[in-house]
Amino acid sequence: MASNANTPDSTVWQSTRFRQWLSRRMPPSSAITLDQKKIFILPTREGIFFSLLIVFMVLAGINYQNSLIFALAFLLASLLMVSILHTYRNLSGLTILAGGTLPAFAGEDAEFTVVLSRFGARTYEALLLGWNRELLQGADLLEDEEVKVKLFVETRVRGPMNPGRLLIQTYYPVGLFRSWTWADLDMNTIVYPRPIPAGAIPSTTATSNEGELIQREGVDDFYGLREYQQGDPLKHVAWKSYARTEELLTKQFAAFADRRVWLEWEFFPGMDREARLSRLCYWVLKLDATNDEYGLRLPGVEITPNRGPEHREEVLKALALFEVDQFEIEKDS
Amino acid sequence: MTGFQIPRNSLAWMLVAQTAVIAPHLTRLLYWTIVLCVVCVLWRVMVYQGRWSYPGKWIKVLFVVFGIAGSIIGYGTFLGLDPWVGLLIMMFVLKLLEMHHKRDGYVIILLGYFVAMTQFLYDQSIPSTMYMFLCVTMITAALIGLNQTRSHLRPLQTFKKASVLLMQSVPLMVVLFVLFPRIPPLWTVPLQTDMARTGVTDTMSPGSIALLAQSDELAFRATFVDEVPRSSKLYWRGLVLSRFDGKSWTQELPALYGRLYRPGQPPTSWQDNMELLGEEVKYSIMLEPTSQNWLFSLTMPEGTTKEGIGLVRDFRFYSFREIRAKLRYELTSHLNYRIDRELSDFWRYRYTLLPKDSNPRSLTLAKTIRANSLNQTDYIRNILRSYYLDEFVYTLKPPLLGDDSIDEFLLDSKRGFCEHYAGSFVFLMRAVGIPARVVVGYQGGEYNRIGNYIEVRQFDAHAWTEVWQEGQGWIRVDPTSAVAPERIESGLESAVEDENTFLANLPLSWMKYRQTLWLTEIRLQLSAISHYWDSWVVGYTPSVQISLLTKYFGDLDRKWLGMMMLTTFFSLLGIVAIFILGKRSHKLLQPIDREYLKFCQLLAKEGLPRSVGEGPIHYAQRIGQQRPDLAPAMNVVTDAYVRMNYAEDQPEKTDSLRRAIRAFRFRTLTTVAY
Repeated sequence: MASNANTPDSTVWQSTRFRQWLSRRMPPSSAITLDQKKIFILPTREGIFFSLLIVFMVLAGINYQNSLIFALAFLLASLLMVSILHTYRNLSGLTILAGGTLPAFAGEDAEFTVVLSRFGARTYEALLLGWNRELLQGADLLEDEEVKVKLFVETRVRGPMNPGRLLIQTYYPVGLFRSWTWADLDMNTIVYPRPIPAGAIPSTTATSNEGELIQREGVDDFYGLREYQQGDPLKHVAWKSYARTEELLTKQFAAFADRRVWLEWEFFPGMDREARLSRLCYWVLKLDATNDEYGLRLPGVEITPNRGPEHREEVLKALALFEVDQFEIEKDS
Repeated sequence: MTGFQIPRNSLAWMLVAQTAVIAPHLTRLLYWTIVLCVVCVLWRVMVYQGRWSYPGKWIKVLFVVFGIAGSIIGYGTFLGLDPWVGLLIMMFVLKLLEMHHKRDGYVIILLGYFVAMTQFLYDQSIPSTMYMFLCVTMITAALIGLNQTRSHLRPLQTFKKASVLLMQSVPLMVVLFVLFPRIPPLWTVPLQTDMARTGVTDTMSPGSIALLAQSDELAFRATFVDEVPRSSKLYWRGLVLSRFDGKSWTQELPALYGRLYRPGQPPTSWQDNMELLGEEVKYSIMLEPTSQNWLFSLTMPEGTTKEGIGLVRDFRFYSFREIRAKLRYELTSHLNYRIDRELSDFWRYRYTLLPKDSNPRSLTLAKTIRANSLNQTDYIRNILRSYYLDEFVYTLKPPLLGDDSIDEFLLDSKRGFCEHYAGSFVFLMRAVGIPARVVVGYQGGEYNRIGNYIEVRQFDAHAWTEVWQEGQGWIRVDPTSAVAPERIESGLESAVEDENTFLANLPLSWMKYRQTLWLTEIRLQLSAISHYWDSWVVGYTPSVQISLLTKYFGDLDRKWLGMMMLTTFFSLLGIVAIFILGKRSHKLLQPIDREYLKFCQLLAKEGLPRSVGEGPIHYAQRIGQQRPDLAPAMNVVTDAYVRMNYAEDQPEKTDSLRRAIRAFRFRTLTTVAY
């Protein structure tokens, strides 16, 4: 697992050696079943205070020569020991599966879905998981065999994102011990550049030889009606005329060739790479919202104009990954 | 100030446990502490319901100041257990109004365990222990609730979990309890407060023992190694009272007695004055706390070997520490004895001393009777006879007497309890120059055949006398036996049967129903259980531990004991671990699931394991594609399982699934055989 600028704080503290040791012990896998090789357990601060309470009780038992104070102290000491087993048991045998991921724009939260599943009668309670130690998500596996947990990770910069090892921990049942694991589910997603508003889109007709087209389905100006075809957006159906004639017609809108936008690297002379990418990203979103066709030209990258969610994703991905290796180096230095 | 909210589950148990833990302390708490508790709990409930908010800083400060000031005023001191327990409880409830973080919840829970502990400083009985176990379970439930997710809203489930945890801890606790090397106190704890305890005191005045005899509280239990002596022999000697001021009897000035005999020291000179004759009686006494120093023993005891106990010049035992916890000591006594055969002039003087000008009429009476008696023995006999002949009455309700109490008793009222008889008898002896003294203690006791011990209660308290005779030393004379011989033979109840005053103030006392056989049986059983508890649990002291373990394991030192404890503890923890972590999952499954899982294992052996998260139907489809030969049988099994598991209607018997699996197994076997 390579850490990058998007790796959450909780895993950054781990020393390289510890991380190497972890990778040997628990190699990345999209399905991890926890066993004693993978579970760590240590007393919590409360556990230490609890032990001090026991010591104090034993002293009271000695000084008062009071057998039942001894008995209570020993009962609590045994409870402490038994709770180790229970806290361990509350992770042991749990299976963690990588679910889907959703990309995000830098600065927003990326969504990772993790599936916890159990087999057999063992139940799990009060599991806490997440990449950020301060914001762990709780989950129970009592009646259900499986539970999906959506986790959100804050992103900072564009590029591919691997949130690193997922922390899964539990204090259940008594909070005196914490058992945890660092599971590397090898989950990846992409962080798009942060959109920065960039004013009006410069005209790019000159470069397009497809500009002869006078008319395409667009969204701007009403052009005429035609028969409804499957796949036409519902919001373009002429409902008023349908109410009158019971004939499904689709409204057609005129868009002109100069609306087939090329988003150009060269738009922003003098700006640095990231500033350009952020502005391009902003326009991608704008154009997508108005259902325009748009293409992208970056040094070494050309995506022909198109529209729709897949296209949008392709373009955003290109922006996110553009010269990303160089970018990583800059960030690290 | 908001942020963290204690889970509802936890808060509910916290409040319940808190109330339960504080409840036994209520009688000892100051009334305003109780008010404070109620206010805090109600306030917290209001906060929970969202009607009020947490109190401001100044209100809390006010509460604390009010609490501490109230303690100082209420108790008058900080040197004692009660004020400290009071303060602890106050902290415990005030913390309720300050729960902003999870750790505040932990503070309350740890304080809860601690308050539960303090209860044992007051009461170590079985009911108290059982109750405290319940309290500890509730506190643990609160602790578990604190670690559950917010959505967990089943408090009973949480309590069950707490019970499971504690039940698994109990065997481990027993190991620690038995084997943890017990050591004597590291430092003295002056915190324990004097409790008003009933019991024999070192002052005897008319009416004092009659008052004590109103109580049915346990004084001590005595277990005899051999046969239990007859009731009339059971004179439990506690104190010798030889100074008389005209009304009350008190102990001799300690300075006059000289050195005490302590175990491990050379015998004192006066020990030669003790001749022990006849058979020895071995017994052990489990004394209830008295807050006093004197111990009870049958006359006449041998010296002692127990640490912290000394023998006093008047042949009784003295504990160097006040007895504030149950105390067990072993003794050997000789029922025949001769003590102080020689009495110095000084002691003759001390033991015949009477206050001047007190009780003149009795003095005259004594001289008259002495003049009509042949010798001292005849005089004693005449006195005893006159108690009988003059129709003295043995009563639990003696009339109040004035300054010349002996005059009034002997010549006017003629009604009295044992202290009247003992006091007046010693007076009559001294009046004619016979050395005499009062002895107080207990007489008799009830034999418990289930536990094989004698149980002595406060109403067995008694006073009798010792008279010194030339050549014979001190002789026990019990003037009560002249008036009410049944008191000595069969106890107080039959002695006061006619006037029906036995435990008149305790209508519900067990002791009043001795005629009801089944009640008596239950009482004896409970008493025996409680005696075992006192002997082996409450009384599991360093010396008891060593003697018990030596009996089974030979000589042990603390190091070995520690090793043994750790080994046993961790072995047992291992067993508990297997129990908790072991592959028990099948036990908890529904029968049909168990069958189905077995079926899956069968297929796994064939090299067709079910993958994680794969549902039965998908599994059957996959297997059907991979091994079409198995498909039909596979489908039968899967159908049966799915139908039984998910069908809304009455689930069928597991048998049909079992049959289907058997059919499947047969088929796979036959296909393999091809």
